[in-house]
Amino acid sequence: MSKKSMHLSIVVITMILGVMLAIQFRTNRNMELGVTADRAQEMVAELARLESDNRKFDRDIDDLTFKLEQARKGQTQARDAITDELNKAKMSAGLTPVTGPGIEVVLDNPDSSSGIFIRDEYLLKIANDLKGAGAEAISVNGQRLIATSEIRLAGSFININLDRTEPPFQILAIGNPEKLKSSLEISGGLVDYFRELGIAVKTQTHSSVTIPGYNKDLRYDYAKSVKG
Amino acid sequence: MWIGVWLAALGLVLGIALGLNLPFTVPQAYAKYMSVAALAAMDSVFGGIRAAMEEHYDNRIFITGFFSNALLAAGLAFIGERLGIDLYLAAVVAFGVRLFQNLAIIRRHLLK
Repeated sequence: MSKKSMHLSIVVITMILGVMLAIQFRTNRNMELGVTADRAQEMVAELARLESDNRKFDRDIDDLTFKLEQARKGQTQARDAITDELNKAKMSAGLTPVTGPGIEVVLDNPDSSSGIFIRDEYLLKIANDLKGAGAEAISVNGQRLIATSEIRLAGSFININLDRTEPPFQILAIGNPEKLKSSLEISGGLVDYFRELGIAVKTQTHSSVTIPGYNKDLRYDYAKSVKG
Repeated sequence: MWIGVWLAALGLVLGIALGLNLPFTVPQAYAKYMSVAALAAMDSVFGGIRAAMEEHYDNRIFITGFFSNALLAAGLAFIGERLGIDLYLAAVVAFGVRLFQNLAIIRRHLLK
């Protein structure tokens, strides 16, 4: 064994040792600076878990947003339906002004000398005939006739909806104008009858008449609705 | 003999300079084995110095001892890890004790 090869091997081996020590030193320093392998794995696992949670919550958000939207839509629809129903009910009750084709009937007292004046039942008969001919809305001198409307003599006046009215009486009705007109002017009908009495009667069809709504409060002090 | 020590010191310095400038480090999972191997290698080198001082230095024993000790220590640590036994502790203790013994003997030779 020559001295030379011995020296070479010493240098090589101590070099290897130096490299090992240096690398170990750097690795250790990195470990202290950074995170350990276990911790890194833990954090990766946690990250994966949080990401999956996040995805789940995203899906939940989508789902709930969809449900909320549906609910809102449903609410709007319900409100529309209720409003619609309310409007229909108001119209049926005669609380809203209505317009449409119809007829105008004007009754007036003859000269006072004749001693004949318009009685409440004449107006009732006319209203009755008009209803029978399919009138959908009727008013007398601006008073809408509804379910509780009365037409009755009170002294020298005729009360309609508790309001005094006087001749001439203007009766408006919405419906098929020809049918309404003919129901009154049928031979032997009311118009003939009134003319015989000497009462001035004028009937005229209109393509559009406007009838006001009932303008007083509807009170139900005694009647209660029955459930079911 | 002294030229050998100087060569050893030179090699160590060169190696450390080289190792500090290498572009890679050992993955953390293998750092443990690397540390045991480095300890074994250090023990071998001090053993060599001691042998040189006792005038019975053998180059072949030195070289084979260096590599086999390092590889054996790392291998034992690796197997211990797989078996759930901290065998690298055994390597650390064994080589650590020998390291101090060698250092003590070297010191005595130097003081003589």
